[in-house]
Amino acid sequence: MLKSEKKSLIRFLLIYLGSTFLLFSLASWVFYQHQRHQLIDQQRNALKYEAQQIKTQLHKLHESSDPQLFYPVHPPFASSIYDIDKNYIFGTLKGARLLEESSYMKDETQLYYLDKVEPYFLGAAFLLVSKTLDTKSIVKLQEMMVWFMLGAGVFFTLLGYFLGKLFIAPMRDSIKQMNQFIQDTTHELNTPISTILTNIEMLETFGKCQKSNELRRIEIASKTLSRIYDDLTYLNLNHHYHRHIERLDVSGAVRERVVFFSSMMEAKGLTLRLDIDPGVMLEMDRNDLVRLIDNLISNAIKYNKTKGLLHISLTGEYFRIADEGIGIKEKDMENILHRFKRANNSEGGFGIGLDIVNQVVSSYQFVLSIKSKVQKGTEVEVRWEK
Amino acid sequence: MGKITGIFILICTLVSAENSMDPGKRQLQKDCLQCHQKQQIPNEMVYRRYLSIYSTPMRIKEAMVAYLRNPQKEHSIMPPQFFLKFPMKENLNFDDERLIKDVELYLDTFDIKKKLTL
Repeated sequence: MLKSEKKSLIRFLLIYLGSTFLLFSLASWVFYQHQRHQLIDQQRNALKYEAQQIKTQLHKLHESSDPQLFYPVHPPFASSIYDIDKNYIFGTLKGARLLEESSYMKDETQLYYLDKVEPYFLGAAFLLVSKTLDTKSIVKLQEMMVWFMLGAGVFFTLLGYFLGKLFIAPMRDSIKQMNQFIQDTTHELNTPISTILTNIEMLETFGKCQKSNELRRIEIASKTLSRIYDDLTYLNLNHHYHRHIERLDVSGAVRERVVFFSSMMEAKGLTLRLDIDPGVMLEMDRNDLVRLIDNLISNAIKYNKTKGLLHISLTGEYFRIADEGIGIKEKDMENILHRFKRANNSEGGFGIGLDIVNQVVSSYQFVLSIKSKVQKGTEVEVRWEK
Repeated sequence: MGKITGIFILICTLVSAENSMDPGKRQLQKDCLQCHQKQQIPNEMVYRRYLSIYSTPMRIKEAMVAYLRNPQKEHSIMPPQFFLKFPMKENLNFDDERLIKDVELYLDTFDIKKKLTL
């Protein structure tokens, strides 16, 4: 799966599952509350029925002439009778305080039902019946809700994944086609560019001719094309690229690449200042190192002013390259490392240079810092330390 | 001789029982129950009737005292049939203190709470 494809799929799944989860949670909560109230209402009705039973028995007791009157007790219910001033008369709920509501619940565990008694049998004007809330059915309901949510979660995740794959399929095809096109184009460009560069070298070596301006321009253009080709190949293969890590002579590589870009520097009349410590060695893939150096030098040449200074420093701690070019605006600094982002659209390029630099730096856990002042210049530093 | 002895012992027992009775009960017996028993008035029923209408001892006491001060059919809470069977109460002409005390003793004697059990 391509990186962008994965990113899009994750984003889609997050939005889809997030909104589905929210909606589902809300609906489940409403359903749960409704069912819970129904279960509690069932128990309240049992309290009401019990109150009716007790009232009937109070009536009988009131009429009874027995020397002892046995107060009705029906576990699990508890009850008490109160006079018209709400003073306790008798019962199994001695400590309970009467509230105004006819039906209420305390501590989410005890259900109460307050009924009026008329006439006042045994002097009772109020009858309070209570019962401990039977939580078994509520716990069962909660368990059911959890299983339902889990089941729905799995179902919607699978559905989301399937839908996501379906939705991004056209995008994946487009990206594949585009990548294939770039791959084919770069491949087709490679042969003519190599031919041009080889022939220029042959002309210089065997033709014994002086480099004319026209020839130099052809060389610069060809090298620019060659570098673009290398960058595109690097980006295109980045996902499947197998790095061959070896101990590299960075000092030699920088000097070599400076020679490669010398004709471009000359064409722009740049003054080159090289401070390269000899024998700087790093464990790296050669292509990564070359792409890093090339892109930084190329940018410094491209965005430098004519006859400006190009200062390249290399030590065991860092690689630094400074120019006297147009600089980067403060607001552009944040996005400058993003692909296809260019500091100045008047210059050529695709905006992939710093993206490649950033990829290399991230791969090796180097530290990249950019300092820039508009119309003064830019200094890019890559510190090897992690 | 044996009969005389027997009657003597019975009289002594009754006198001693009368003397050993709680002074409050003696007052209630003398002021109220003596007459009620003679007229066969069902005290328990009367008390329950008051209880079912007034609920608290305080309210019952107020209602009874008010009735006893001016005992008339119209002021009574008993059903009309009650007065067909039992004679209308005469005014006792007791002072308030005695009347209230009698009612309190009456309510205490028939208090329903004493009979209730679990």
